[in-house]
Amino acid sequence: MNGLVYGLAAFVGIVATALGCYGMVGGTGAVRLAWLVPLGGLDLTLDSLGAFFLALIGFAAVPTSIYAMAAPPDESKARFTFLGFVLSMCLVPLAANTMTFVIAWELMSITSYFLVLQDRESRSSVYAGWVYAVMTHAGLACLLAGMLLLGAWTGSPRFEDWRAAAPALASGARSGAFILLALGFAGKAGVIPLHVWLPLAHPAAPSHVSALMSGVMIKLGVYGLARVSLDWLGIGPAWWGLTILIAGAASSVIGVLYALVDHDLKRLLAFHSIENVGIILLGLGSSVVFQAAGQPTLALLGLTAALYHTVNHAAFKALLFLGAGAVVHATGTRNMEAMGGLIKRMPWTAACFLVGSAAIAALPPLNGFVSEWLTFVALFQNRHLSSIGLNLVFVLGIASLALTGGLAMACFVKAFGITFLALPRSDAAASAVEAPVATRLAMVMLAAACVGLGLGPTVIVPALGAVGASVLERAAPAMVGDWLTLEVAGGYASLSALAIAIALGAAFIVPMAALRLVRAPHRTRDYETWGCGRIVQTARMEYTATAFASPFKRVFDFFYRTTTRLDIEFHPQSRFFVQRIEYENHTSSIFHDWLYRPALELLRAGARAAGGLQSGSANLYLAYILAALLLMLVLT
Amino acid sequence: MFRQLRTALRAGIVTEPAAAREIERIGERLASEIARLFGRSLAIRQVDAGSCNGCELEIGGLTAPHYDVERFGVHFVASPRHADCLLVTGPVTRNMAEALRRTWEATPDPKFVIAVGDCGRDGGVFRGSYAVLGGVAEVVPVDAVIPGCPPSPAALLAGLLDAIGRQRR
Repeated sequence: MNGLVYGLAAFVGIVATALGCYGMVGGTGAVRLAWLVPLGGLDLTLDSLGAFFLALIGFAAVPTSIYAMAAPPDESKARFTFLGFVLSMCLVPLAANTMTFVIAWELMSITSYFLVLQDRESRSSVYAGWVYAVMTHAGLACLLAGMLLLGAWTGSPRFEDWRAAAPALASGARSGAFILLALGFAGKAGVIPLHVWLPLAHPAAPSHVSALMSGVMIKLGVYGLARVSLDWLGIGPAWWGLTILIAGAASSVIGVLYALVDHDLKRLLAFHSIENVGIILLGLGSSVVFQAAGQPTLALLGLTAALYHTVNHAAFKALLFLGAGAVVHATGTRNMEAMGGLIKRMPWTAACFLVGSAAIAALPPLNGFVSEWLTFVALFQNRHLSSIGLNLVFVLGIASLALTGGLAMACFVKAFGITFLALPRSDAAASAVEAPVATRLAMVMLAAACVGLGLGPTVIVPALGAVGASVLERAAPAMVGDWLTLEVAGGYASLSALAIAIALGAAFIVPMAALRLVRAPHRTRDYETWGCGRIVQTARMEYTATAFASPFKRVFDFFYRTTTRLDIEFHPQSRFFVQRIEYENHTSSIFHDWLYRPALELLRAGARAAGGLQSGSANLYLAYILAALLLMLVLT
Repeated sequence: MFRQLRTALRAGIVTEPAAAREIERIGERLASEIARLFGRSLAIRQVDAGSCNGCELEIGGLTAPHYDVERFGVHFVASPRHADCLLVTGPVTRNMAEALRRTWEATPDPKFVIAVGDCGRDGGVFRGSYAVLGGVAEVVPVDAVIPGCPPSPAALLAGLLDAIGRQRR
């Protein structure tokens, strides 16, 4: 039964990919069933941008479904919910009117809520589900308000009509709609400071669901942001783009900073999702600013970078979540401090996780490198903008992208090194076994996708450029080049991913071959790893994730606001003998302390004040009715 | 400030004269021997097997500006994995015996071992103590000995030259 349902989900994924690819090469299609739902009916339209996201959903759904087939029963039991989740996500980018969109969006949220709430016994899981439900419905309220207002102002619930009518709207109305819709979509995308649900929901959900939520579902927030800022509301003012750009810069840096000090493998990946959405928004924001400045070609460059990073993030984040799932299943813990030495026990998982780590750390020749490079190039085009203020924000984006890249690298040195290398830090890690074949197949598929997306920008960038050009009018292609080299922004920069890959490969292979050719004497002797001559070597002597993160904690102390507690119990006779030592180091979230707690307190205070009306006394209620009656009589 | 500058200018160079010709001569021969045997440089891992640190002071002196042994192609490295040669000091205490043996195992072949100082040679003043094994040769095969308590840097260089001269390609 499991195999059948997940097989069906994989099939849906294949169909979605095929349909999406068809749409990306110019195919169109529409389904309208007016009788099915009220207020405009079911309205599905395949257009280029929607098709791109549809293909993305399908692309991620296939390996995650294969992974789910072999997942342990307690993780894979919600199979129909999973299928519903995949189907509802497929509907979102196809939806062409408010009603269809909201239904698909809400179905997606509800199914994912139930998937997050898989483990109903654990308090943390229930709390995660609750926060997720609140955040996603707050977002839905914003979306609904924005869409209904737009529908009222333009006189149509269809997105196509908004496109035509938006330029005629008052600028205040357009901006109001933009703010409402962008807030709703940003919440789903996990943009800081609306990110709080992400690090809670991802560790609670089963790994294939986390992979899909992080790889694709939050991208639908990006999809919405792209629609709102470039498509539905026409060409907006520059501050829309600047807002997106600043949100992207903040998300990327803050996301990776939180990831660095988190030692829960899946929560670390969740924070990296925030970071990568930030990087995508850097590209998207630059695109909106260029569009507002009348530079459609550069806008296309930015949008292409954003779309490219969207695919790449889906590929490597799904891969990393599946790898983390395999590790968590093998060791029974998500805490990296209890792992170690898994590369010898789970070589396939380790190799795939390494590919994913290198990709997310933007190392050539993998995919993360190409899209971050494109984002850099797009941001550097600020030289075509004259306003100093705009330029400063772009420079901020460039600096934060550079910082993010470095910190992401450090973070994945930690994630891979502590999880897979050295000696096992627990019995569970020492007795871990390799994941089943289906899991490995899913990971290898995604790892191959990471390599393919990294080697083929000369094929992919023009395709994504065509998708972007369908959204941005009058945009000439920003990238030219032949099969080997990609040249962007009128000869400003060029990249030959394939040549880099060949050079890197040659750097490994040529010296080996040369040594073999000259018949250099080589004798090998197997001996244990050098451990400074120590006789007893235990896992307690190893580098820990906490120790790795410690310098970063110190440097960014103003942000983490760490509190340390060191508790040492000495021997009563002598201070030179320590009997017990306890060390705790906590970071506190500024968003929780400065934003959410005050907001929630305000809400509670308001509720308490309003609660005074509800005294429970029947006499008072009768008085209310009387007052209401009198008021009605006076007013009418 | 000007007073200080004036003093400095008037005083001229007051450091000791450059290293004796002896060092230069040994050093040049050492460099050519190293070039003949190792191509570029000789990587030495120094192991303190319970030394009183007298030998370490002299070995440290080799790398200081006065002798500056790196110019002759002698390089002290941080891991036996990178070393061609182990320079072992001390009478080999019981606690260090196993570590010394492991260090020797961890050094890639071909390698050679030089025992430094009287302690390294046969245990020196500690010989016969229950706490020491007495000499590096008790634990790992020794190719050359540089005696002295401690040997001077010049003696160390000469001993190094002697030890390398004995090595065959």
